[in-house]
Amino acid sequence: MATADTMIEVNGLKKHYNRGAIKALDGVDIAITKGEVVVVIGPSGSGKSTFLRCLNLMEEPTEGDINFDGVDITKKKIKNAEGKMVKLDIDKHRQKMGMVFQHFNLFPHMTVLKNMTLAPVELKKMTEAEANEKALKLLDRVGLRDRAEAYPNQLSGGQKQRIAIVRALMMEPEVMLFDEPTSALDPEMVGEVLDVMKELAHSGMTMVVVTHEMGFAREVGTRVVFMDGGRIVEQGTPEEIFGYPSSERLKSFLLKVL
Amino acid sequence: MGDLIKLENFSKIGPFMKLFWQGTAVTVLLSLFTVAIGFILAIVLATMRLSEFRPFAFVGMTKDGKLTDNPTLRAIAKFNPLSFLATAYVEILRSTPVIVQIFIIYYGVFGVISLPKFTFLGFVKFERFFPGIVALGMNSGAYLCEIMRSGIQSIDRGQTEAARSLGLSSFQTLRFIILPQAIKNILPAIANEFVVIIKESAITYTIGVQDIMSAVNSVKSATFTIMEPLLVATAIYFCLCFPTSKLIAYIERRMSRGDRRHND
Repeated sequence: MATADTMIEVNGLKKHYNRGAIKALDGVDIAITKGEVVVVIGPSGSGKSTFLRCLNLMEEPTEGDINFDGVDITKKKIKNAEGKMVKLDIDKHRQKMGMVFQHFNLFPHMTVLKNMTLAPVELKKMTEAEANEKALKLLDRVGLRDRAEAYPNQLSGGQKQRIAIVRALMMEPEVMLFDEPTSALDPEMVGEVLDVMKELAHSGMTMVVVTHEMGFAREVGTRVVFMDGGRIVEQGTPEEIFGYPSSERLKSFLLKVL
Repeated sequence: MGDLIKLENFSKIGPFMKLFWQGTAVTVLLSLFTVAIGFILAIVLATMRLSEFRPFAFVGMTKDGKLTDNPTLRAIAKFNPLSFLATAYVEILRSTPVIVQIFIIYYGVFGVISLPKFTFLGFVKFERFFPGIVALGMNSGAYLCEIMRSGIQSIDRGQTEAARSLGLSSFQTLRFIILPQAIKNILPAIANEFVVIIKESAITYTIGVQDIMSAVNSVKSATFTIMEPLLVATAIYFCLCFPTSKLIAYIERRMSRGDRRHND
């Protein structure tokens, strides 16, 4: 399954709570290729958010492995170039995986600009001047340059989420993970956030998106993954999933949401 | 018996007012030192409680660097001795009376360690004052630790997740994201603890610290009056605590007003 272009390869991923009483993930296998926009859909409680949060180890998997850029990040220790066992630095890997949350999670005590420049400057990825310049460019891209000095609670939900997206982009990630990015938004603000995500997809960014926006899945997704009961039930192109669903569970799910 | 409070009895207190003023100075000094000790202790305790120090982590690791399935080994691997010690300290100090703690420190600890006997500022006896601030500081450190811990834990988990997802370390997350928000939340509680300490410090007269309460005792035995010196002490404590809590309330209002303005 893995090819040279494989960015993330997940094997037998399980996440159990309460000593196995709750199986949020019950064996997920998937390989995500560079440039893909994988949209994960499914009923609530199907494990789709848990799956996404396992990819950058926001949740620690109970079992299975996650290979990112050829490194199994579920390991606590890995062999380095000289063959010695060293501690795996998960922070380094997270820098390459941007994440956008349902509730934005902007830092309320910092201006928009500081929200964006904090991580790249503190992690010595760029100087403060470079970071400021890059931040302003990104703010331009999402039409919020004039909000650079605003504080998060002076912004609308849609603005907050657009800032959260460009904040993640500041680290120049290889893949962007979206955890229901429009679910906490007022309906009239969903469009502006989806537009930014669409533009990002067209620029070639690898994306994994958990969402209830079927329109987005159909239009932007290169692959749609349907999850239920902690497993991937069906996956394929948007045409296959929405046009010719094969499993009963997907059919009944689509009947409810479309 | 006669009247409980007689006006002329207050004139008997007159010559002893100096004791009250010295007692007030001792009470204020005692409280300031206690807060300082308590605050530093609380920072250490809270850091220990929230630390991720896992010296036995290797027990829970398999040969290929993964977590084992064995629940007992996992529990051992997760054990954090620093957090355990700090939690034990806090729970013991919070579950026993202050007076017991003070007696243990004064008669026990400083019965073994002998302190130099000298007087500073002309009226503060070091060998009694020092055990007083140690005991009160240890006690208030436990409470302040809980204030700090809850302040840190009251910050939404999403803040930590956002910071960690950007690749910031747990220390950087604490320093840049969590602490700046937590400190603002807990400042009023810390200031309130100061008022509590002013009042609680009265108990140190039982180990001979010459604070306001000890002035009451001296006047009682010299003049055979009790209610009058107690009323004087009441007035002094009130004048110390009431303005302080009003000031805290004022600062608190100022801070939350700032929040509301941002919400526009």
